[in-house]
Amino acid sequence: MATEKPKLEVLQEDFQKLQKLPRLSAAVDNVDKIIQLLTAARNQVAETLDSSNASVLLKLQNPVKSAFDSVNDGLKGVAGAHKKMGKALDKSFPVKPLPMDHDAMAGQVPLINRAIAMHLLREGQFSVASTFIEEVQASRNHDTPAELDETMDEDDDDDDDAETNENANEDEELDDADDATSTTSSTENYDLSSLHSKELQENFAVMYKIIQDLKAKNLGPAINWARANSVELEARGSNLEFELTKLQYVWLFKGPAVNGLPDDEFNGRFGALRYAQESLLRFSPRYESDISELAAALAYAPNLEESPYRPTFVTETAFGDVSSSFTREFCSLLGLSAESPLYLAATAGALALPQLMKYTQKVRSKGTEWTTANELAFETPLPKSMLYHSIFVCPVSKDQTTDANPPMMIPCGHVLAKETLQKLCKGTRFKCPYCPSEGHMKDARQIIL
Amino acid sequence: MSQLGIPSSLAATSKLVCLERKKWYTKRTLPSIQDQPLLRLPYELLRKNFRSAHYHIEWDSNFVKDLLKQTANGSVTGKLSQQDVVNNLDQMLARMNGLKRKLTACAEEENRLYRQADARVSHLRELANVHTVDDVKYESWSRQRLDRLIVDYMLRHGYTASATSLAQEREMLELVDIDTFVAMANVRTSLQNGSVTEALAWCSDNKKELRKSGSNLEFMLRCQQYIELVRNLKLIEAITHAKKYIIPFTETYPTEANHIAGLLAHSTHTHHVEPYASYFSPSRWQMLADLFTEANLKLLGLPMFPLLHIALSSGLSALKTPACHSREQNQSQQGKQPSSSANGISTAPNKKSATPEAQGRDKEHHGTASLTTSVCPICSTELNALARNVPYAHHSQSHLLEHDLMILPNGRVYGKARLDEYATMSSLPPGKIKDLVTGQIFEADSLRKVFIT
Repeated sequence: MATEKPKLEVLQEDFQKLQKLPRLSAAVDNVDKIIQLLTAARNQVAETLDSSNASVLLKLQNPVKSAFDSVNDGLKGVAGAHKKMGKALDKSFPVKPLPMDHDAMAGQVPLINRAIAMHLLREGQFSVASTFIEEVQASRNHDTPAELDETMDEDDDDDDDAETNENANEDEELDDADDATSTTSSTENYDLSSLHSKELQENFAVMYKIIQDLKAKNLGPAINWARANSVELEARGSNLEFELTKLQYVWLFKGPAVNGLPDDEFNGRFGALRYAQESLLRFSPRYESDISELAAALAYAPNLEESPYRPTFVTETAFGDVSSSFTREFCSLLGLSAESPLYLAATAGALALPQLMKYTQKVRSKGTEWTTANELAFETPLPKSMLYHSIFVCPVSKDQTTDANPPMMIPCGHVLAKETLQKLCKGTRFKCPYCPSEGHMKDARQIIL
Repeated sequence: MSQLGIPSSLAATSKLVCLERKKWYTKRTLPSIQDQPLLRLPYELLRKNFRSAHYHIEWDSNFVKDLLKQTANGSVTGKLSQQDVVNNLDQMLARMNGLKRKLTACAEEENRLYRQADARVSHLRELANVHTVDDVKYESWSRQRLDRLIVDYMLRHGYTASATSLAQEREMLELVDIDTFVAMANVRTSLQNGSVTEALAWCSDNKKELRKSGSNLEFMLRCQQYIELVRNLKLIEAITHAKKYIIPFTETYPTEANHIAGLLAHSTHTHHVEPYASYFSPSRWQMLADLFTEANLKLLGLPMFPLLHIALSSGLSALKTPACHSREQNQSQQGKQPSSSANGISTAPNKKSATPEAQGRDKEHHGTASLTTSVCPICSTELNALARNVPYAHHSQSHLLEHDLMILPNGRVYGKARLDEYATMSSLPPGKIKDLVTGQIFEADSLRKVFIT
């Protein structure tokens, strides 16, 4: 497999060969020829006497016929080219049945619409997003005029009501997931009017502005934002504010030749020192060592390149790094993931699709079905960057732990799923499957990973 | 599922898993089934375009050939005057000019479709040159794939303006099929508005293929015409219509044909008598619209539902973990008051209403990922509700995001490094640590090591 020529390369070559094959334009030329013949004949007939008409027309018959024949021959060539294309496709990209017989997402249109709208806003596609929201709402009103009032009710004034409703419905949905009607009614609440797209859009517009400024090496807006949200950032354990301030110091330190800022008392080494006194010192208890390092670098200023402080003052990637951690913090404070979830899900979907297809094929050929609806029947490996939660698989039962079957730590420090432990128990005692120690059921503790 | 007994060959199993993963690793950047319609559609459209060109040529050439023969005969026998001959030749010329115009359009369409097919193969080739998922090129390709899927989704739902503007913004008009779907949406809308004319025209354009696939669309449309005649009490016309379009298919569709005959007796005033009443239902138009969409998609070899749905249902499951909708985690998160009283960020005074459920969720996530990680996509507002009813991913091995796990007296487990970092950051006195989720402070001595096998 691996040594063969990549299929798409073959396909592309095959497609390039099609360039030389006949196309419909040849037929147009032949039709043009017939038009010329007919026009010439018409003019001749119109100009000459009655008697010669017959011979003109009789002479016309054969050329017209052969021109039509070449039109048809041309068509055969065109059809042949299409056939070749079909064969090339079949060879390199054979038609495979879709992995799903039914559409699992069919009832979820409002939720998908919402996810798409948020994705577009997040990507900064503000005008596409507003067109989309308008179109979705227009089609909703068109489909079900009765719901118009409902949408109108959810005005900005009663945000709080809408919010509590949504939360209440969310819980309800969890309980009545089987009940089709209640599911639909609660999904209705996830329509685009509950998206508050205006606020989201404003938030993302702010984010984009700050990122743009960061790209232009202007740290000011980002620092202001971080300062305004320093309490939340600190609670998250983020050091973004310090990192930004530090970078600003480094940037000023480099002086007008590098940073392109005006050559005044606020720039260069003295500007940096001044900035440090104003802004950096307030971080002093926590970032003591970083700050003293930054300050000490002043002494090495003339020969920084060979000083031990060189790495701190490399700014090639610093702006990019700070920009991505800014995006992460900004989105996290909004309760959103830094990367578009829709992008991640679609990418993960594409990566997992081969497994899904293999599985569906096997199920189809055997006629069996997987009965546990909670968990996929096959593994869908994803790159490490796509793992967001720690996953504990019980080493004995091979089950993933859940709320109902949580991980339990036994006195020796080994961890097993609760159900496993219950089965291991003889009376109230069990022996650890991994070490010689024994324990009591009451000594096992649930852990939260 | 759960079997007791200590696995005898844990090492061997994990080796197998590794092998499996390696195999998957090389395969994952290949174009998948999702990209199948991308190349198939231009091909199907090329064939369709060819068929219509062929039809035009056939039709007009027969006309011209016949008329030419007649004219020649007429002029030989002297039946036609000079003026007649000129008129006939003018007629032929008009026909041929019409044919030329139509063929030129077809030839242009053909060139466009070839160009499109080439652009699409090159687009797919780009992916074949990327070897790992971590490649930056993979990311940009995958982003474009998502844009493609979104445009496809929008088109299928009739959000044409959105689809067009997204495709333009992203400069990928060659990679999406706006015209095809717009044409489809137009017929669909006309059916939803109670008109069969456009759909019947489409049927006659695709007569052969529809017959080959055994579609009942045309029959159903004819039935609807009949129903409308009966509804408007044009009974004689209805009978004539039935004779022409419905009776010939009695053997193929016996039930419908029977009911159709019965409709005459029932007419519109018998609203409650089934099955006749449902024939008069306005919901039949939606049914016809769906029937048309299905037939059209089938003819073009397109999947019946948006490709985004396929990507999502497999992607949501692959990413989902039991923790994503865990009550345990949600409760623990509610139990803790956010450490900051200033809840909103300054730029977003309304953020609370923007993302009500997500508010506390990010706090919870401190517990599961490194100190400042991003929120999990399934836990994020965009997808959380959508993922609620899909199964979670299957894992045969534990995946831990941290090392050197330590358990706190409250049962929560964190990596040692992160606990230390958080303690420094919170300026705690030595010998103390702080729970990253609940904010509780414990003696460092009270921590114990946890062994995850």
